[in-house]
Amino acid sequence: MTTPAIDLDSLRRGARLAGFDWSDAELEEIRPQVENALRLLRALEAIPLREDAEPTTLYRTV
Amino acid sequence: MAELFWASMTELARLIATKAVSPVEVVRAHLDRIATLDPGLEAYITVCPERALDLARAAEGALMVGQPIGPLHGVPYALKDLYDTAGIRTTGGSRIFAERVPQADATVARRLGHAGAILLGKLNMVEFAYGPEGLNSHYGHSRNPWDRAAHRMAGGSSSGSGVAVAAGLAPGALGSDTGGSIRIPASLCGITGLKPTYGRVSRSGVLPLAWSMDHVGPMTRSAADCALMLGAIAGYDAADPSTSVLPVPDYAAALSGTVKGLRIGLLRAFFLEGATPEVRSAVEAAAATLAGGGAVVDEVDLAAVMTHAAAASMPIVACEALAYHAELLRTRAAEYDPDIARRLRVGAFVSGMHYVRAQQVRALVREAVDAALARHDVLLAPSTPIVAPAVDAREVTLGDGPSDVRSALIRFTRPFNLSGHPACSLPCGFTPAGLPVGLQLVGRPFDEATVLRVADAFQHLTDFHARRPVLG
Repeated sequence: MTTPAIDLDSLRRGARLAGFDWSDAELEEIRPQVENALRLLRALEAIPLREDAEPTTLYRTV
Repeated sequence: MAELFWASMTELARLIATKAVSPVEVVRAHLDRIATLDPGLEAYITVCPERALDLARAAEGALMVGQPIGPLHGVPYALKDLYDTAGIRTTGGSRIFAERVPQADATVARRLGHAGAILLGKLNMVEFAYGPEGLNSHYGHSRNPWDRAAHRMAGGSSSGSGVAVAAGLAPGALGSDTGGSIRIPASLCGITGLKPTYGRVSRSGVLPLAWSMDHVGPMTRSAADCALMLGAIAGYDAADPSTSVLPVPDYAAALSGTVKGLRIGLLRAFFLEGATPEVRSAVEAAAATLAGGGAVVDEVDLAAVMTHAAAASMPIVACEALAYHAELLRTRAAEYDPDIARRLRVGAFVSGMHYVRAQQVRALVREAVDAALARHDVLLAPSTPIVAPAVDAREVTLGDGPSDVRSALIRFTRPFNLSGHPACSLPCGFTPAGLPVGLQLVGRPFDEATVLRVADAFQHLTDFHARRPVLG
């Protein structure tokens, strides 16, 4: 699976939407990690799931 | 008397209860060893000699007047430095919390105190438990005791716990495990570490990394000592809503010393096939040893779901970790290790939809492991695909191709943080260079007793857990 590229402007907007005002230098530093995370998120989307699969939150506690 | 710092917790408890040794002698033997060796090993962040000796003298006094004693009366131990300890700083391995002194003990620290155990100090760890290599730029990179010539990783994030127990600086410790942080250092340092079932042990008063993935558990030099410590800390806690009301069994009583008739599922695809040849051969030999001991061993294939583990765990850990650190990242970012800060920031780019989808996939992983355990008493796999790498290693070659070290270290442990099943790492061999290889046993939910029974039986059949690194 190819690594999705993400540009600085997208990083800036994504961080601001999440409530963080990080500098361009800080965003450039995390670009490789974000691209790796995006690759994993694409893989996550590709996993076949039942429509009724219920998310696990606090689970199995008896 | 043999060197007290190599005695097991079980043996120390017996020697103290029978007045064969004084708790003061035992604590002093460990404090002396810490003073001698810890400057080179960097296992401890904070040592508490005066407090430990005061408690030891009180424990000795209690014995002399015949007061009732707990199962760990006078036995020393140490805590990963993310467990709150009243009056003793709890740093989380971070400079940000360097002066953080909690008002109250974590539930498990309080329970160990009630059992009579004596805290020696607080152990080094990866900053805020976010990483498996065992490196810490603030308090030093704990050194793996099995290689005196090269600086090798101890594994993390409970690096100090692994090193202290392996090197005789504590007979037992508590670690925490979000993606393998008990089992990875146990594997790399040649000790026995148990990640109990999610909900078996309280996380109250433990600094979180990712609440839904965090587990608390013992790290010792034998399965019997894990059973002893687990018995002292397990059980419902009103302060942790995830804890179970299921009764706590007598784990020590479950150690029958035999695996005869037990069904063991060997995980070859994804696990054995992904390990280096030296790890694979040691784990295959361990499976043969258990079969020779009377277990029925056959192969199980969980590869189809295990390949989803990385994609499912990343959004969960990233989002939950960022939720805890968001305010600190806004106000004190420069005080984090830069690598930790970068990893935490990634959580800002994961959506709520992805978080929920990851939790859906998590259910699939749990179902697949449950199905395998419907036919087997335990599953068997390597704990890590590699032995301890050099501290500056970045890439390794696994059985199925190249990998970065971080991904390699958590590959076999992380699935069971997603699923919540109990999992134990114990030594099952050594490489020609003298580095330990870790075996992982995975059991049914809340069936730590069977996991520990198999681990203990293996330790009756072998002596890997009894080997000691040459130090000092």
